[in-house]
Amino acid sequence: MLSIRNLHANIEGKEILKGINLEVNAGEVHAIMGPNGSGKSSLASVLAGRENYEVTEGEVWLDGKNLLDMKPEERAREGVFLAFQYPVEIPGVSNINFLRTALSEIRTHRNLPALTAKEFLKMTKEKQELVEFEAKLANRSLNQGFSGGEKKRNEVFQLAMLDPKVSILDETDSGLDIDALRIVSNGINKLRSPDNAFVLITHYQRLLEYIVPDFVHVLYNGQIVRSGTKELALELEEKGYDWLKEIHNSESIKG
Amino acid sequence: MLNQLTSPLYQKLVSEFEGSGNYVNGDLSALRKDAFELFKSKGFPTQRDEEWKFTNLTPFLTQDYGFQQTELTEDHLREAVQNALIPDLDAYTLVLLNGKIQAGLSVLPDAGQVTVDALDKITGTAIYNEYVTLGESDKNAMLALNTAMFKDGYFFEVKKGVVLDKPVQVISIFTADDHAIFQPRNLVIVNEFANAELIETSVVLHEANHLFVNSVSTMVVKENAQLVQYKIQNNETSERLLSYNQIFQSQNSRYDNFTFCLPGAELIRNNLHVVLNGTATETHLMGLYLVGDHQLTDNHTAIHHKFPHCESNEVYKGVLLNNGKAVFNGKVFVERAAQKTNAFQQNNNLLLSDKAQVFAKPQLEIFADDVKCSHGCTVGQFDPESLFYLRSRGISEASSRKLLVEAFMFDVTEKISNEALKQYVQNLIYSKMENSFISIA
Repeated sequence: MLSIRNLHANIEGKEILKGINLEVNAGEVHAIMGPNGSGKSSLASVLAGRENYEVTEGEVWLDGKNLLDMKPEERAREGVFLAFQYPVEIPGVSNINFLRTALSEIRTHRNLPALTAKEFLKMTKEKQELVEFEAKLANRSLNQGFSGGEKKRNEVFQLAMLDPKVSILDETDSGLDIDALRIVSNGINKLRSPDNAFVLITHYQRLLEYIVPDFVHVLYNGQIVRSGTKELALELEEKGYDWLKEIHNSESIKG
Repeated sequence: MLNQLTSPLYQKLVSEFEGSGNYVNGDLSALRKDAFELFKSKGFPTQRDEEWKFTNLTPFLTQDYGFQQTELTEDHLREAVQNALIPDLDAYTLVLLNGKIQAGLSVLPDAGQVTVDALDKITGTAIYNEYVTLGESDKNAMLALNTAMFKDGYFFEVKKGVVLDKPVQVISIFTADDHAIFQPRNLVIVNEFANAELIETSVVLHEANHLFVNSVSTMVVKENAQLVQYKIQNNETSERLLSYNQIFQSQNSRYDNFTFCLPGAELIRNNLHVVLNGTATETHLMGLYLVGDHQLTDNHTAIHHKFPHCESNEVYKGVLLNNGKAVFNGKVFVERAAQKTNAFQQNNNLLLSDKAQVFAKPQLEIFADDVKCSHGCTVGQFDPESLFYLRSRGISEASSRKLLVEAFMFDVTEKISNEALKQYVQNLIYSKMENSFISIA
């Protein structure tokens, strides 16, 4: 489904991603872990099309289409969803108007019929229930007045509404208390299907107790230095990242 | 550069005033003469004048404006009125053609509630003498020119204690066979405990001709009265609009002004002066200016706090496109006697192009020591993070910009309490800006 090949990217002339290779198939959940500054969030940003990143080498394909040629909105319409680490508050843009606009542009692109106002409201209600997001949306501005936890839950709710192929969750667990983490995880688990895939970017193994990944990758210094199954996450929790850094650094010297 | 003394308009005004005998007769002779002398001594404002530093009138004075007007057939007029009506708005209408009241086309409140008449019908009355010349001490050349030469205009008085059940839409239709200057003069009085809402709109027919409109309105809001005034400036390129709006508020009164300057006219200059002549008044000035390519929109506001316990609140927001240029000058005067004043002012500008310009000048002069006054001014661009957030949800760049502009203006548009009017204004904004968004996306 998502195929990342030898991806290199710079920000302000500094190389952040140094050759990432990753295959994500439909139905899979991948976790990407790694120490601070390893490039996890940069990878998410590059995939979503954030403009201050410059891709210098490599390819990214989504179901046979070249993702790097697309604008951010085209990527979203093709089925890429980025749950932001820091969702933006936009006073004056209503939650409902925002969702309706997004959904309608995406549905048009996917050749789906436009929703009536009634269908839209019904869908909103259903998806809110599905991800247990009780915040009142009507007559409120986008993310305004939402707590940190509510903002993250709003991301998962939007994910549910927009029904993407590949969802990249950028530290969606950060800043959540245990209850919120459980709710967010439940929501994501309900949204998992054989037709979609998830990439979870996280610091902590904690999230992976709730959402069990098929694969775990460790990102360090702009590269994936180790891939494994969920047991790798437990090993990291126990040993920290230093042993991997040491192995990687000595390999680099040898190489 | 064109010298204003040689500008055809200046010459024309002098020979019209001094030659035609239309102005120096009757009750107003002395007043008009003095006013014209003032205009002559000052001339058209130039950029050497601090109040006009960023607004150069000269290019707009070059056309050969005349005084002739055109009459329209009844059918034409009716059609123009139909087109000017605000959809779904339940309102009275006051229709003016080149400043003259069209009673047959207007739908006015009951005569027991309001008095509506041509301004010249009340010349010489006590009301006229008391109010028409209020504020003349301002020494503003364009105000003086209007005082010297105004011909038509309306008088609208809401009787004591009358609360109008519907707003009144004032539809000003202008038309001329050739380039022309219009100088309407209006007087609105809202008496004690009365309550009214005016929605001012205008229509120009024969838009190929340049129209120079120099209008003056005086509004008096008496004790415990309320007036809401909406000014919707949705004009044609060929219009040059100068408006001087002065408001006198008495004790316990409330006045709300909404000014919407939409892309269109090449020149808009609004002067809005509010004088608080009593204690415990409330004043809200809300403005939106959207300035298109090669247009200049200038809003000068002034609030004079003269008595204690008054509250004023001003929010002006500007969106500038392409080569648009805007000027905002917001003055707040708090006199020594005006203790316990609350005065708040905010001006935000969003520049959507590298070439757009804004000249903003908040200006507070405070002589009392127990007051709360604040002002803030920003000039900025779209927040790239907000733009990216919207686009990452599949919303096109053009739609995202539109949403963000809507958000930017929300502080002002949300304050419009009448739903139909709010919808109308929002639709105007979007339809006027649509092309601009496509061109910058």
